[in-house]
Amino acid sequence: MARLKQKGKAGAAKAYITRSAAIKKLQCSLADFRRLCILKGIFPREPRSRKKANKGSSAPTSFYYAKDIAYLAHEPVLRKLREHKAFAKKLSRALGRGEWSSAKSLEDNKPVYRLDHIIKERYPTFIDAIRDIDDALCMVSLFASLPSNSRLPPELIENCTRLSAEWQLYVMHSRSLRKCFLSIKGVYYQAEVMDQTVTWLVPYQFTQNIPPEVDVRVMLTFLELYQTLLGFVFFKLYTDAGLVYPPPLDLKKDQGGAGVGAFSLQDTTRASGPAPAKITAVEVDVRKVSSKDVRQTIKHITAASGAAEADIEMDAPDASAEEVDEEFVVHPSRSDPQSSASLPTLKLLADLPQPLCTTLFAPYTFYLSRETSRPIFEFLVRSFGGRIGWPASSGSGSPFEESDDSITHVIIDRPLVEKPNETPEERERRLRRKHVQPQWVVDCINAGKILLEEHYAQGKTLPPHLSPFGEYQGAYDPTAADGAAIEDESESEVEEVEEDEEEIKDADNAALKSAAQAAVASEDPAALRAAELAAEAAGVDFSVFEKEVSKSRKLSKKATEVGVETAEQDMNKMMMSNKQRKLYEKMKYSQKKRESERATLEAKKRAIQKQNKRDGKTSSTG
Amino acid sequence: MTVKDAAKPSNKRKQSTDNDASEAPAIAVTNLEMWSDEENGEDVASDDGEVDEFPEIDTRSDSEAEVLEASEEEEYSEEEEVDDEDQDEDEDESSDADSLHVFPKAKTIISNITGQPKRVYPEIEPEYDSDSSTEDAPNRVGNVPMHWYDDLPHIGYDIDGKKVYRPAKADELDKFLSTVEDPSSWISAFDKNAQTDKPLTTEELDIIRRLYAGENPDASYDPYAPTIEWFTGKGKEEVMPLSAAPEPKRRWVPSKWEKQKVMKIVRAIRQGRIIGSKPKSTSKFSFYSIWSEPSSANPPPLPAPKPRLPTNSESYNPPEEYLPTEKERKEWEAQDSEDRERDYLPQKYSALRLVPAYDNFIKERFNRQLDLYLAPRVQRVKLNIDPSTLIPKLPSPSSLRPFPNYKSLKFTHTKGRARCVSVSPDGGWVISGDESGKVSLWEVNVGREVKSWNFDSKIGALDWCPRLDVSYFVVTVEEKIHFVIPPNLPGPVLSLTQALLAPATLPPAPATPSPVKWVTPATSTWSTDTPILTAHLPGSSGLPTQVAWHRRGDYVATVSTGRSQGGVWIHQVTRRHSQAPFKKIKGAVQLVLFHPLKPHFFVATQQYVRVYNLSEQKLLKTLIPGIKWISSMDVHPSGDHLIVGGYDRKLCWFDLELSDKPYKIMRYHTRAIRSLHFHPSYPLFASSSDDGAIQIFHSRVYNDLMTDPLIVPLKILRGHEIRDGLGVLQVKWCSRQPWLVSGGADGTVAVWCS
Repeated sequence: MARLKQKGKAGAAKAYITRSAAIKKLQCSLADFRRLCILKGIFPREPRSRKKANKGSSAPTSFYYAKDIAYLAHEPVLRKLREHKAFAKKLSRALGRGEWSSAKSLEDNKPVYRLDHIIKERYPTFIDAIRDIDDALCMVSLFASLPSNSRLPPELIENCTRLSAEWQLYVMHSRSLRKCFLSIKGVYYQAEVMDQTVTWLVPYQFTQNIPPEVDVRVMLTFLELYQTLLGFVFFKLYTDAGLVYPPPLDLKKDQGGAGVGAFSLQDTTRASGPAPAKITAVEVDVRKVSSKDVRQTIKHITAASGAAEADIEMDAPDASAEEVDEEFVVHPSRSDPQSSASLPTLKLLADLPQPLCTTLFAPYTFYLSRETSRPIFEFLVRSFGGRIGWPASSGSGSPFEESDDSITHVIIDRPLVEKPNETPEERERRLRRKHVQPQWVVDCINAGKILLEEHYAQGKTLPPHLSPFGEYQGAYDPTAADGAAIEDESESEVEEVEEDEEEIKDADNAALKSAAQAAVASEDPAALRAAELAAEAAGVDFSVFEKEVSKSRKLSKKATEVGVETAEQDMNKMMMSNKQRKLYEKMKYSQKKRESERATLEAKKRAIQKQNKRDGKTSSTG
Repeated sequence: MTVKDAAKPSNKRKQSTDNDASEAPAIAVTNLEMWSDEENGEDVASDDGEVDEFPEIDTRSDSEAEVLEASEEEEYSEEEEVDDEDQDEDEDESSDADSLHVFPKAKTIISNITGQPKRVYPEIEPEYDSDSSTEDAPNRVGNVPMHWYDDLPHIGYDIDGKKVYRPAKADELDKFLSTVEDPSSWISAFDKNAQTDKPLTTEELDIIRRLYAGENPDASYDPYAPTIEWFTGKGKEEVMPLSAAPEPKRRWVPSKWEKQKVMKIVRAIRQGRIIGSKPKSTSKFSFYSIWSEPSSANPPPLPAPKPRLPTNSESYNPPEEYLPTEKERKEWEAQDSEDRERDYLPQKYSALRLVPAYDNFIKERFNRQLDLYLAPRVQRVKLNIDPSTLIPKLPSPSSLRPFPNYKSLKFTHTKGRARCVSVSPDGGWVISGDESGKVSLWEVNVGREVKSWNFDSKIGALDWCPRLDVSYFVVTVEEKIHFVIPPNLPGPVLSLTQALLAPATLPPAPATPSPVKWVTPATSTWSTDTPILTAHLPGSSGLPTQVAWHRRGDYVATVSTGRSQGGVWIHQVTRRHSQAPFKKIKGAVQLVLFHPLKPHFFVATQQYVRVYNLSEQKLLKTLIPGIKWISSMDVHPSGDHLIVGGYDRKLCWFDLELSDKPYKIMRYHTRAIRSLHFHPSYPLFASSSDDGAIQIFHSRVYNDLMTDPLIVPLKILRGHEIRDGLGVLQVKWCSRQPWLVSGGADGTVAVWCS
């Protein structure tokens, strides 16, 4: 006889362990268990049958893999946590007895755990680590913007600031930024590092308050892990790029609010040389471009586009003419001379994956107006090769002054105000530079080319800012729908007009049409004959009538065919199994939902367009 | 007495301090030692060697001495005033010497009494403020019991040895009078020594008052006097050492054993066995190239799913159509935050500088982290298929013609629901019965009633005999089964039918008497209006609701609503014999059927279908359709397939050779299934339901066992009205054409043609 199978000795009952059982097994507190889970990346599992996994009980609990917990049992961090518990007891006793010296020596020998083995374990290869730094970057950039308090020590905030600056430095250095999106939540950046896309979200520069329902301990535990992970990742990235990690920080500049500029990238080869001062001078602007160079570049550009920079009035009609056949104009630059050649096929090219243009802003020099956010635009412009300066109110370390002649663009975000007392010099300078709103920079990056500044000029209503990350397949596309909807509308309008004319011309024509349709529908030769006679009496050409008949016949046939097909399909649904039917219903539901979403958006768009048109008409007439 | 005792040491010390002030510390030490060591006062006195006649001092307990000492030290300056009158003279002398600082010259004379030399001091002139204690009490008898003098005229002797006579004793009256008259009598007390009343001094009165008040009787005692530190405090440590022993050597010579221990540690440190604690400067964690070493062979854990990338609606400046309308905004706000499809409302700002902080930023980050470590993750295969591919590909109904697809004619029963219909085996005639008891005969092609029969009660079921050489049908009413011959039959058929149903010679009665009576009316009363043969079922057997013919047309089975013996009877027409096949049957029998080819018999109870072999009289198998209440059943003409319909809308297709479980379960009617019928020749079957619809299926059955039967839904026929929740009650096929006859609750019987 086979051995009796005992309940709870194999299968799901063995493979899963409840949380409370796991805590009991590990002999640690719930807080420690949570900490371990976060650090080790252990998460609950959903057993196929909760009852089987929990000895027949269906009480709501979370399950872990028993093996995960078994591995946790000899985790060095767990041992350190236990040591820490003992240490805390000893320390409190020493303090209670007033044994200050022993308390101090205890404090000096406090057990501290390290996470490097966990990093290695969770991310066996560097690619794995890169793939998973999205959340880490989000968290670090969030904590970099938080105010320090008793729970968030200033060293932590400082470290987070340092890490986020190091990442930005690396992205700028390696020119790996690809996309950027200004959302209502913050700024999304997407970079491509080691062929992995890394997307992170940076909040706008405002003071954030930690809401009371957020457990800071959990966040801090995650942050602990993320800091270690980012440290190792950056170390690898920097050393692979031949840079010294950590990049030295210029304290004086940092106190001046230089932000990213306070760090200096240092080549490992040069690191041996004792010239730190020189190095800092080099790295403030990664590419040192002389103003002469820039001027030359500008000249080149203007020559190519055939427009003089000085007189904008002359330029304007030209630009609008260009606008008619194309949405934007590419300014040919030295970096990609092919762009001018590809002009006629731009529309085709837009559908293709955009070529990487990491030196997009290389020929330009930007100046930030003081109401724009310096960290965002400094990062964006510098990672695409541009030079950027800012007023002293946005922090120190600007490589040039506002009066610098090399400035080609001013990023400005304030309404247009007439300046009555403007010196001719200022006026000349204002006319020479292009004033654009911040969105222009981001849209250029996402488009992969320099867009026409006209639409983004200071004080203008901006074109909508779209997500560069795209939406799901078949979602509503605001740009594509634009043209189609307009065409549709125009078509329908034309039709309406035509119909009106027809109605006015010969009302009986419509009657004839309907008669023909009725005849076809009834499929009665006698009726058809009668209709033909009526048409003849009305004086309609026979060929016209024939056409009409065939048309309506086709229409009715199509309708019936479609009806028959759907009816057949409906009937065939009877033969589906229950599981298949449910799956089908679910898929149909989601399909319908997406379609309805799309339809509502399209309807809204149409309504808005109509409204706009009406407004335009009334304004023109009135 | 206590005060006196206390006075002694203090006096002595006072003296000593006066005499040798320079040696004060040493004396103090010795003095201290004396009291603590419990030595005799005499020894100390001898140490001092100054006072010869020191009064005898009792040895007393240490603690007592100390207490006394403490009490008296504070007031040593006024000791003399407190001294009693009855002091010894020696003491008196010494105290006088101490306190007054006046030393009157004493004369030494020989005492008259003792003959010893004796010091005599001059008489003290009491001055105005002199102590009353110095007033001499005349009686010097001492502290002896005064009753010794009770019988004597004197009460003692004065200082000169003369008798002191007893003062005159006042009688009681005088005593009383004195208490009244003498104002001081209440503050006077009887003096034993003088044997008379003496007024109390003010000090004594004060003591009495203090005792009454519970205070310390000593007026000069200050309970709150500041502590004087003699042995503790700064500079007093070694004032009075406890021991005079010389300081031991160990106090200043370094320890040998300590040195050995230290040397052991020093040697260990030199040899490197003991390493000093590391300096705490390396708190900074330094990063290194962690991925340069090869990783373990373990596969990495699955990366956490990435959050969704932002879409256009999250832009700070989205196209206007993304902005929510007022209604959508309200809807979004009313929703619970977990139910929301998006965690934000699209908003549009005209400039980047106007974009405010996103207030849920930290909350969202936190939720993401909760997802990372608290949410169970399931790997899900995303089906990226067109949902229409899930619909089974079936041949088009148009390729499976013919099947009925339209209603060609309608026959109406005016009085009640058309419960049952039947089509003649040649397919030309239809009989339909309604609930009022009327049975109509009409032609399929025309739909005009040829003849009708009226029975006294509701028709339960009716069916044509499947034989082609004879023509009659069976109608069941309450407890009766009528055999009726239709009119207008050709001669041979009519005669054969009559011969069959009412033969000239009746078959012999069965050996066991049956409760079913077969009755034929007399030949003279025969007409087409009345049944030619009637079987009377036993009483209270109820209405037979189903009639099932055997294919040969000799046996007919009926199921009655009355539940005696399951209500199942099998009648043999030729022998006019009825038998109940089941003595006892489990469950209420709903339907019965004969197998078309084999001697098998299907019995459907509420939930099961049982198959019996009639010839062997045993149960073959039980089919489990999984239906709560079976309403209808039909067997395929090949005999291998069975369809069962239920009131719970299910239709089960059984492959009898395959399994006891249904091959296919379908649920497409919205209400209960009422009737099912296989077409006898075409591969068709129909089901009717209370939803008023008739569903036509193509059902091709293959002979080889490997191919599953093909079931294709062909057409839904609608046209019957629903009355009182009842729709189409029975459907029957015409045997030679793909035509269907259906009877509905609305009283119409319809013919559906292809």
